[in-house]
Amino acid sequence: MTPETEWWVSLIQALVVINLVMVTFAYLTLAERKVMGRMQLRYGPNRAGPYGLLQPIADVLKLLYKESFYPAAAIDWLYLMAPFVAAFTALVTFSVIPFGPGWEVSGVYIPGQVADLPIGLILIFAIGSIGIYGFIVGGWASDSKYALLGSMRTCAQLVSYEVSLALSVLGVVIMAKSLDLTTIVAAQQDTIWYVVPQFVGLLVFLFAGTAETARAPFDLPEAEQELVAGYHTEYGGMRFGLFTMSEYINLITLSGLCVTLFLGGWLGPDWFGPLSGPIWFVLKLALLLYLFIWMRTTLPRLRYDQLMRFGWKVLLPVATLNAIATAIVVVAV
Amino acid sequence: MGNFLVWVVWFLAAAGCLGSGVAVVSLSNPFYSALALIGNLASLAVLYLLLAAEFLAAAQVLVYAGAVMVMFLFVIAYLGGRADAPWAGGPPLLRTAAVLAAGALLVEVVVVLGLAWGDDLMGPAEVSDSFGSPAEIGELFLTDHLLAFEITSIVLLVAAIGGVVLGTARETEDTE
Repeated sequence: MTPETEWWVSLIQALVVINLVMVTFAYLTLAERKVMGRMQLRYGPNRAGPYGLLQPIADVLKLLYKESFYPAAAIDWLYLMAPFVAAFTALVTFSVIPFGPGWEVSGVYIPGQVADLPIGLILIFAIGSIGIYGFIVGGWASDSKYALLGSMRTCAQLVSYEVSLALSVLGVVIMAKSLDLTTIVAAQQDTIWYVVPQFVGLLVFLFAGTAETARAPFDLPEAEQELVAGYHTEYGGMRFGLFTMSEYINLITLSGLCVTLFLGGWLGPDWFGPLSGPIWFVLKLALLLYLFIWMRTTLPRLRYDQLMRFGWKVLLPVATLNAIATAIVVVAV
Repeated sequence: MGNFLVWVVWFLAAAGCLGSGVAVVSLSNPFYSALALIGNLASLAVLYLLLAAEFLAAAQVLVYAGAVMVMFLFVIAYLGGRADAPWAGGPPLLRTAAVLAAGALLVEVVVVLGLAWGDDLMGPAEVSDSFGSPAEIGELFLTDHLLAFEITSIVLLVAAIGGVVLGTARETEDTE
């Protein structure tokens, strides 16, 4: 059983983790542009600072100093609330992802995650489902046809793939017999990383996760050629920045969840002393994020009917069968 | 201090529950009504949390505030949410009668609960530490409430098949 955590430890940890996640987001945008640039035989951003390393800071300053105007017909408070709901829910979910086994520093216990909950996995999905409202309400309150169509697409896509995403992790839950993310990682320490027995689950999770975060090749909600920018067409300045931030942070959280559920979380050889846990976690996270960027540059966008057919007729049955097969094997063995 | 905090949270959640409930039926714009219903379901989840039922709270948010209400908003936004609902309001007599009927129902519920349990409602209930945990809820589903659980799953299956049938019929109509 884990020892009690002091409230001020949790507070400091929450502040540190939130800021680390936001820095990761900022440099993920840079990494994405750099990697995409190289894959498309160009340089990517290289003007702000050495190797373009100050580019994210320049981007944030630009967004902050932009004039924040909005459509005259927009519904004020809903229009203003939507980006905050999206960003808040995105930031909150990362708090249950464990990045280390926990440490004892001069008598004070520091846990390996901000909030250790027995239902951490469900909480991520629950808060994520609230985050959808940021997208749909923002698009609706903008009073713009592009934004409304974009938010309708976001809504339909997220609802469709949420089912497969939840079913794909069911196999892991059945094997670990827990919804607690720390326990799930500990169970992988005792047996084997779930990427081996749950490989089908991992594949479904990656496909559904790509669709949940509206990344290419499932980026229909913001298909530029058809919808200008999707639900945030009418947003500018930092409000647009908050929407973008919530999308990228959702991607980071989803990758973190994938690392936790399938790739053994913070587990790894003890090469870096007490910091081995977080370092392995970050390395695995970086690998997954690179995979997502790679997919974006490689694969063309699906058509809308292909997207829906794939979600309901391929992913959902596969995820269901995987869960049922896992249940049978776990009970039989 | 801890107890005081519980009271504050309970009061806020209960007030949010009642307020948003009234808003659902009194607002004329269906989009706002749906948003108020989300607030209502979320306040209910907070009340569940106070009752040490974390799993139920998370499931409530995930299923009702999340999935179900998204479909509501989806439909309302598609049909044009800004138009006032033609049935909103009604004649004053009807409204008064509705309020009276709701009040009578409330009194009836309170009286029946009071008669049925009476003294048991005075003290706090005895619950075990594992109360409301996923394991315990799962066990209850498969023992005490097996029949209700199975019937619900059949009803949901029928609804899913019905959805597929309705959707397919419209698709063939379109292609003809």
